[in-house]
Amino acid sequence: MSVLIDSLLAILIVYLALQCLLAPRLTQTVFLFFAFGLALALAWVRLGAVDVAITEAAIASGFLGVLFLDALRDFSFITSGKQESSDAANHSVSKKKPAFLSLPGVVLVLGLGLFLLITLEAVWKVPESGGLTAATEALLPESGVENPVTAVLLNFRAYDTWLEMGVILLGLLAVMAVGGIKIFPVHRKTPEDPVLQQVILFFTPILFLFGAFLLYFGKNGPGGAFQAAVLWGAIGILLHLGGRPVLTVIPRWLSQLLLIMGIGFFLMLGFLLLAGGASLFEYPPSYAGVLILIIETLAAISIAVTLVSVFVHLNQLNKEESN
Amino acid sequence: METYQIYSITSGVLFVIGMGGVFLSKHFIKKIIATIIMGSGVFLAFVSFAERDALSFADPVPQALVITGIVVAVASAAFALALARRIYQLTGEESFTIEK
Amino acid sequence: MTGLPTSPLPALLVGFPILLAILTLFFRPGVKALVGLAGCLLTALLAFIAFVEVTQRGTVIHTPGGWDPPLGILLRMDALAAVFIGMTALVGGFISLYAWRYLRAQDPATGGYPLFWPLWLFLWAGLNGLFLSNDLFNLFVTIEVISICAVALAVLSGKAGALKAGLRYLLAAITGSMAYLFGVALLYGSTGTLDLDHLGQVLEPGTTTTFALLVVTLGLLIKMAGFPFHFWLPPAHSNALAPVSALLSALVVKGAFYILLRLWMEVFGVGITYAAGQLIGLAGAIAVIWGSWQAFMQTSLKLLVAHSSVAQLGYLLMIFPLLILPPGVTADSADWLSVTWTGGVYQVISHAIAKASFFLSAGIVIMAVGHDRIESLRDLVGNMRITSMAIGLAGVSLIGLPPSGGFVGKWMLLKGILLSGQWWWAPVVVAGSLLTAGYVFMLLRLAFAPAREKEPFRPVPKTLEVVALLLAVSSFLIVFPADYLIQFLENSEIFGSGIEAVLKGGFYGND
Repeated sequence: MSVLIDSLLAILIVYLALQCLLAPRLTQTVFLFFAFGLALALAWVRLGAVDVAITEAAIASGFLGVLFLDALRDFSFITSGKQESSDAANHSVSKKKPAFLSLPGVVLVLGLGLFLLITLEAVWKVPESGGLTAATEALLPESGVENPVTAVLLNFRAYDTWLEMGVILLGLLAVMAVGGIKIFPVHRKTPEDPVLQQVILFFTPILFLFGAFLLYFGKNGPGGAFQAAVLWGAIGILLHLGGRPVLTVIPRWLSQLLLIMGIGFFLMLGFLLLAGGASLFEYPPSYAGVLILIIETLAAISIAVTLVSVFVHLNQLNKEESN
Repeated sequence: METYQIYSITSGVLFVIGMGGVFLSKHFIKKIIATIIMGSGVFLAFVSFAERDALSFADPVPQALVITGIVVAVASAAFALALARRIYQLTGEESFTIEK
Repeated sequence: MTGLPTSPLPALLVGFPILLAILTLFFRPGVKALVGLAGCLLTALLAFIAFVEVTQRGTVIHTPGGWDPPLGILLRMDALAAVFIGMTALVGGFISLYAWRYLRAQDPATGGYPLFWPLWLFLWAGLNGLFLSNDLFNLFVTIEVISICAVALAVLSGKAGALKAGLRYLLAAITGSMAYLFGVALLYGSTGTLDLDHLGQVLEPGTTTTFALLVVTLGLLIKMAGFPFHFWLPPAHSNALAPVSALLSALVVKGAFYILLRLWMEVFGVGITYAAGQLIGLAGAIAVIWGSWQAFMQTSLKLLVAHSSVAQLGYLLMIFPLLILPPGVTADSADWLSVTWTGGVYQVISHAIAKASFFLSAGIVIMAVGHDRIESLRDLVGNMRITSMAIGLAGVSLIGLPPSGGFVGKWMLLKGILLSGQWWWAPVVVAGSLLTAGYVFMLLRLAFAPAREKEPFRPVPKTLEVVALLLAVSSFLIVFPADYLIQFLENSEIFGSGIEAVLKGGFYGND
């Protein structure tokens, strides 16, 4: 029975991935991408990786999906003349003269098919190893938290996680490098929408509480900084869309501080530990739990602010053009 | 066939679909989504091994790696999206034109 | 890792530049450049301290979090890492000085591309982290830091051409890292470890291992623009601002090469066959000839220099076939191994210095004449003596004429080729040098030619010219410590034992 469920889910995932890339319209692609993300989140749950499932649903499917949706305004709706031609181009890919029927296309597809066979053989024959489950289990009591994934993320491999916070900040810097150099773009008045206002009023406290819940219980159960950050980030994005750009009303230095707080505190703590003769991020065992909670909270705030800024910057890209 | 094997096979399929998508898709957005699909394949491989190696819980190391990996992939994708939108804004192009 | 002394330096080499990168965000654009420059110079200083530390104490390690591998991550600074970190500091320091003056002159209105500084410091931290890392997944995170920074720097000018080249670069980079990571997933699945040393000990030959090796190598080749995957490099490097082009060509592509070298020599003993080595060598050989020929045919100065990078990276790929023993040869009689890989490392250093100088000089010329057609070099000698000298010296080092650093690298490579009996690579090295000589002398001939019409050379800040010249001179000065550097590398225990492990595991031994 469970094999049947898993097989069906696997087939669904592959089908959605293919459809996502073959869909003739961009709108379809983006909605299929949402569906693909949700199916994948189900797969994570089936595999017992609830933390990954929440991350997938929140960041990969949720946040990124919203960015793609926002981008659709650029590509499909702004210039109707171009829309026609691009649609025609897209149609030609799938209907009239598919690209993969040309000679190089055939070679490529055949090559990919061969590559697929080799890949499957390699994946099928992966030898058993046992992984690092036992090692983690043995050291979990020393980590200061009870959720093993949080222990790996914020203690055993804290160095990776710290660098990853850097990558998130870099994502924002990179987006800024494309669009301009302002930390937060000047907000433009959006027309008031009473329904949206009500929705925001309703969702803000719920999202906030749910985020805090995920953050705090990430110590013992599934959840943690990244998942909480996305929920808090969602508040910022909703407020921005509703014409209340939180990030532009607070002073510049404060918003900058919020951005770097997570990675900055983490690093200063690491340097402090270095100065005390320990390794980078080698927490004193009795304080590990508290320190991890502080780091996670600050990181969640920083990541939330970063995600909002990334969204605002991308959202602003086409507004600048329109005036 | 064990549960993890269903998903590790799926991971290989997704990886190849994504890789093909990066090369064969035309539109910028599709190319970006193809990289995400490729990444999903990679992450599915990690997590399927985590399930295989489960004791009282699934191997947490691959799960942590995947969470890190997802975030890294999303940051790159957001950057790529910014580039794609800006290119469209400046030139009206939605895919790479054949250029010398 | 027992027995090796620990040191906080590896942690500082990554943490310090990131701290400075974060700090620069708080300053106004004008001040940001100053803080950024100061940060770069301090980072370079720290790198030199670390280099000296390794020469004194030998390999040092650091385990962030205090957890030993395989659960924790190990940072290890051995001779190879120290040499790469030192190279980054030397080249990066000069480029930072140049960038400070150049960006201000290019864009005075906004204080000279202020985002350059945090991005470059992050990039530097990523490079240091990559050279130090001994963990397959941590290597992935560092190459992602490097890729995002590199592309963001490449599109800093905001022009459509740069953006398009940047998107192409970014998509190639993401595809490369995902291919690499897929290999890592399979390796973790079959061994349960991510630590390079540990992996080298427990990896068993088999279908999965061979496939993982294949995708990891493929991914890294995409990232270092190895032959069939070089398509993204020329547009990305030629459309960037001059100091960024120099950073990308001199340092960024070397990161992927470094991982490839480490993995092939320390880990993948069981998976590699003679044929695989020959294939990579062939890709390198084609890159040398094709890249040099393309460089020769270009009419735009920066495209010429960028294609020359494709060719010079080809030389680096050609060391891989030599590292694999042909049937029936034992490690003891394989006396060319150390000359080959140290020669490869030497080639990396001399190319980094010479190419950085070349790109910086090109930036100066473009700034002076306002366009980047090769014709603009006409009568350069009469107008900009210092820059002409820099281009001449850097060019000579790229060709590989004595007494330049490029000569030492290519000579050692040639020696390795002849000693190993794989003579068929030798003509490629010679032909590559001849083609390089062709385009360098074409440039120099133009530089000495009298101006046709009165084309005005705008004045250029002297600092820029001096920095480019200093780098060009360095590409000759590195000949003096060559013996010392090579011995330093050869005596590094880890690499020695790495080779031994590879040979015992049978680079070719399994059949």
